Amino acid sequence: MFGVCLATVFIVAIGATTTNYTAVIREMNIFSGNVVVVAEGSMVVQAFPVVGGNLPLSVVEKVQQVNGVEAAVPMLVRFNYQVKAVIQLVPTNITIGIPHGNWSVLVGHTPLKPGGNWPSADSDKNEAIIGPSLAQQYDLSAGSKVNMKNTNLTVVGILDTGSAILSRAIILPLKLAQNIYYGHAMWINMVVAQPEEEAMQQQIATKIEEEIDGVEALTTRERNEIIEPLLQEVETWTLGLSSVLYLLSMILVTTVAMMNVSERRRDFATLDAIGTPKSTIVRIVFTETILIGFLGGLAGIFLGSIAAMLIASFYTNIPLSMFSFELNVASPLFVVKILASTVAVSCVAGIIPAITASKSNISEVLRSEY
Amino acid sequence: MIVKTQELTRKYRLGPSVIVAVNKVNLEIKEATFVSITGPSGSGKTTLLNLIGLSDRPTSGKVFFMNEDTSLLSDRERREIRFRNIGFVFQTFNLLPTLTALENVELPMALAKISIKPQREKAIQLLETVGLTGRLQHRPKELSTGEMQRAAIARALANDPFLILADEPTGELDSETGCEITKLLLNLCRKHKTTIVVATHDERVANASDVKYSMRDGRILRDVGL
Repeated sequence: MFGVCLATVFIVAIGATTTNYTAVIREMNIFSGNVVVVAEGSMVVQAFPVVGGNLPLSVVEKVQQVNGVEAAVPMLVRFNYQVKAVIQLVPTNITIGIPHGNWSVLVGHTPLKPGGNWPSADSDKNEAIIGPSLAQQYDLSAGSKVNMKNTNLTVVGILDTGSAILSRAIILPLKLAQNIYYGHAMWINMVVAQPEEEAMQQQIATKIEEEIDGVEALTTRERNEIIEPLLQEVETWTLGLSSVLYLLSMILVTTVAMMNVSERRRDFATLDAIGTPKSTIVRIVFTETILIGFLGGLAGIFLGSIAAMLIASFYTNIPLSMFSFELNVASPLFVVKILASTVAVSCVAGIIPAITASKSNISEVLRSEY
Repeated sequence: MIVKTQELTRKYRLGPSVIVAVNKVNLEIKEATFVSITGPSGSGKTTLLNLIGLSDRPTSGKVFFMNEDTSLLSDRERREIRFRNIGFVFQTFNLLPTLTALENVELPMALAKISIKPQREKAIQLLETVGLTGRLQHRPKELSTGEMQRAAIARALANDPFLILADEPTGELDSETGCEITKLLLNLCRKHKTTIVVATHDERVANASDVKYSMRDGRILRDVGL
């Protein structure tokens, strides 16, 4: 049971972590239907430039003038990887500057929690809205004061969202974000171009790249094509690793069950002698191996979920205490799938021991003893 | 005639050599008799019991159980005969260690799908018969060897068998307990009209039997009707 438990711990920890990681990355494609314009050579993960150069604000006007573009919304997006001088592997928060009044381009129909307001048009007021995960982590509410790169900000609203990206976002008026990061309002690092019709995306992207120097325009499909192979590779590796672990746990269960059957050879032979049907003996062994799988799986899921939370906490800097049923790393569906797989693996592992036990014969056992 | 064997032979291959454990044995066991089979270790007593009990198949020859030729039966049919008509008592008791004395006795009835209440009542009654009234909830390791053998005899009686095969039932017991078990088996034979076949080294058991067979090198040497 310990072996099954250990294998399940790894399967859950690795599976839950990668599943969440890939789900968050997939979720980042929030500008579906729009063209994302970034500086040439930028590394774009789904909707956002993670690494890359800046664009002058004048690019926005040029994009707006491209035939078929209904609106062009500039943004300054920064993934923050550092907390208290410690660099994290996964960004701990995302700062997004967006012109006042264009909030819906970024957040869609996401409302604010009661008592909150969107930042005012006056960027001198230093107002920001933040995601619920950040608010919970730092115990912030509407009216709280925070300091960001030596700038005092007032949190005026908390987004009411379950989105992983938005829940870790700090959303500011564009000018304020520019002042915080550059000290002036000249640079941005992406433009969201909204086409008049969604079908025109590819056409518009091509025109933008033709008409504006030094930019890359990516359609939804192109952005997916950049990241999807990578995500699939991660998922394939996870699946491969899980398969190996399942195979190992199957071998372990088979070995333990075989030892068990061997030790109880006399018991099975006695059952055979008193006329117990072979199917009953098979059922006894199967029940035992399934129980090993079920209990080992349950323990593994419990410990694996804790391990997954520790990993997630370590990489995201979200305190462990914040992980609960609301912010669970291993979803109920994932847990059920793992448990079902563990039980199925145990079933398969029980086949050989069950057949062996059913073949126990009292005359052979007695002959070997006397 | 409850059991009749005809030229019953059982050979085993042991590496390059062939062991003839039972060699052309012709035997007749009448109903409600107490039969003993004596002989030195390796003479073929246990093998003969296994053949009579349909736990093993002969290399050649036949076993007739209640006049039915068992060589023509499938494993499932032989198992069914074993289940309904034959009780086994082993030298080492072979009680299931995780079950209590009561549960061990209930087991054959549970397999026969007898409902719980009559099953329990009968198991208690059988344990009373063998003198284990106060040890119902004890597991085998909490019982003495004599008590374990009594529980094993009660289990053998659970499905009201016509035949009980006991392989060295007193082999692990001290002399006094051995006597008690012998009396118990004899009593079962007399009162319940159960046929009992005992393979034994114990002369007292042999002397108590109605029919005494002796085996050597797989052959029956003689039988003595009393």
